[in-house]
Amino acid sequence: MAYIGVKVKKAVGDTVFDVFNTIFWIIVLIVVIYPLWFIIIASVSDPDAVIAGEVLLWPKDFSLIGYEAVFGHKELLHSYLNSIYYTLTGTALSVIVTMMAAYALSRKFAGRKFINFLFVFTMFFSGGLIPQFLMNKRLGLYDTALLMIIINCVSVWNLMVARTYIIMNIPDELYEAAIIDGAGHFKYFIHAVLPLSGTIIAVLSVYYGVARWNDYFTALVYIRDRSKLPLQTILREAVAMLTTSTSTDAFFSAYEGDVKGMTEAIRKALVAKYCSIVISTAPAVVLYMFMQNYFVKGVMLGSLKG
Amino acid sequence: MNSDRAYVNKGNRASLFKRISQAVRRDWQLYVLLLPALGFIFVFCYLPLYGIQIAFRDYKAVFGISGSQWVGLKNFRDFFSAYYFKRLLSNTFLLNIYGLFWGFPVPIFLAILLNQIEWPGFKKFTQTVIYIPHFISTVVMAGILYLFLSPDSGIVNVFIEALGGKPIHFMIEPGWFRTLFIASDIWQHAGWNTILYIAALTGIDQELYEAATIDGATKLQKIRYIDIPHLAPIVVMMLILSCGSLLVSNTDKALLMQTPGNMVKSDIIGVYVYQMGLTKAQFSYTAAIGLFINIINFVMIITVNWISKKLGETSLF
Repeated sequence: MAYIGVKVKKAVGDTVFDVFNTIFWIIVLIVVIYPLWFIIIASVSDPDAVIAGEVLLWPKDFSLIGYEAVFGHKELLHSYLNSIYYTLTGTALSVIVTMMAAYALSRKFAGRKFINFLFVFTMFFSGGLIPQFLMNKRLGLYDTALLMIIINCVSVWNLMVARTYIIMNIPDELYEAAIIDGAGHFKYFIHAVLPLSGTIIAVLSVYYGVARWNDYFTALVYIRDRSKLPLQTILREAVAMLTTSTSTDAFFSAYEGDVKGMTEAIRKALVAKYCSIVISTAPAVVLYMFMQNYFVKGVMLGSLKG
Repeated sequence: MNSDRAYVNKGNRASLFKRISQAVRRDWQLYVLLLPALGFIFVFCYLPLYGIQIAFRDYKAVFGISGSQWVGLKNFRDFFSAYYFKRLLSNTFLLNIYGLFWGFPVPIFLAILLNQIEWPGFKKFTQTVIYIPHFISTVVMAGILYLFLSPDSGIVNVFIEALGGKPIHFMIEPGWFRTLFIASDIWQHAGWNTILYIAALTGIDQELYEAATIDGATKLQKIRYIDIPHLAPIVVMMLILSCGSLLVSNTDKALLMQTPGNMVKSDIIGVYVYQMGLTKAQFSYTAAIGLFINIINFVMIITVNWISKKLGETSLF
């Protein structure tokens, strides 16, 4: 704009536009942030204040009884540990397996087209829930922790994103040079491809990790032994089921004895729900915030090709 | 590099066996790298295809998958003549079509307006914030709905009562099901779904904007004559592709939001298959329903892919 030496004035229309755009975005930000903020402040407020609608912008009668109830709930805590275990092992496995396959598919070799087809086909057609269930049962995976780790291990979509990343970001000359030096695919993959794939590994970790952390349906279908349930399935019982009145709301208030204890437990149960939402959502959101710089870049790349 | 040359040289055709052995000798490490991924998709995607046959059998656990009796198309006929057939199909379809109608334009709109924010700090902050809800689990999303909309303690009904209204049983009244389902979907994912469009907008040549500025174009005119024409091909593509999944069930979420009250609207195919199949053990019947829907989805997705490819070749790019 400056190179022709004319200072271009901002049109009046543009200023009006900017004002409205800013207002619009402030409203959007409130719509996005407020529910999340409300959950956080309700989780540290007194239950009576929450029920009375007195908690609006700031915690009222600060209290941690909800968190006490959550951290005192053995089953919930146990499922939390289960989820950490399933997520860490499952994600590590997924990322390694995906990167290996993505590198292989980025090279030219006999049979690549066919193997590629084998992967892509699964995106379009599946056996469906029931055949999958019967087959996994027959394989002895029903009600096992192993299933929770290895099911959906490879997402073909992620595989294709990773392959595209490798093709576009790792120069072919590097491969030529490595081959002349006598390196095979293993060596090249470990010493050249992996170190240059930080961004995509971060993206895959977040994708796989969040998907596994947030999944409740797999356990609903496959896990009967309650000590193996992941957090989300337990959380469903705690917060995402219909409770017509507080008296049927048994999850957090089940184990209090006398009547006085009972009413106190019901009071606790309400804020405990907000607390359990906070502690279950925090890891995924924090991971995203932590990784977001890599992340947005890598995802954009993937979405452009896809 | 000798083996390489032999591999490329097609004039001097070696026997098939020889060519295969050369390819394997040269690239066996690649096949090894592929093996784990292939193994996983074999077990979890291809083995179940073998189990599809129970849709044509009367599956009994004692006889196993291949030992149960053939019944031909009986399971399919049962489904087509089932009392709930029409309701299931229309609930699944309508939930998706309304979702597409309300949800599809939002990310495009957001992306265009986000692109117009001039202060980089505010832009970055906004972008960061609108992606957050995408990372919330479906269970928590449903939990938020139950909590906020609860008739006796939910903040929404507290407000309604404060304004003199009667509390609404949002999660029980069937009329609210689709609205809540779609609105919460938009809240959760519209921000995230802007990524594709923002990437496309970022790819526009900056000189176009500079030239437009010199010509005295306003921001609205730039949106109208630069942004929208550039987004159009992707928008059309995405719209076509979305039409391929109009009978796909979002089982996870519908199951969480389903209550005895809203069954009339919330009973979609995926939920029905889960309930009849896994909680009532009607394996063959539900496998048939699953197969029927999967075939429809497969045909639709292949068709829309083909259409988008055709369009892509001729007019869009």
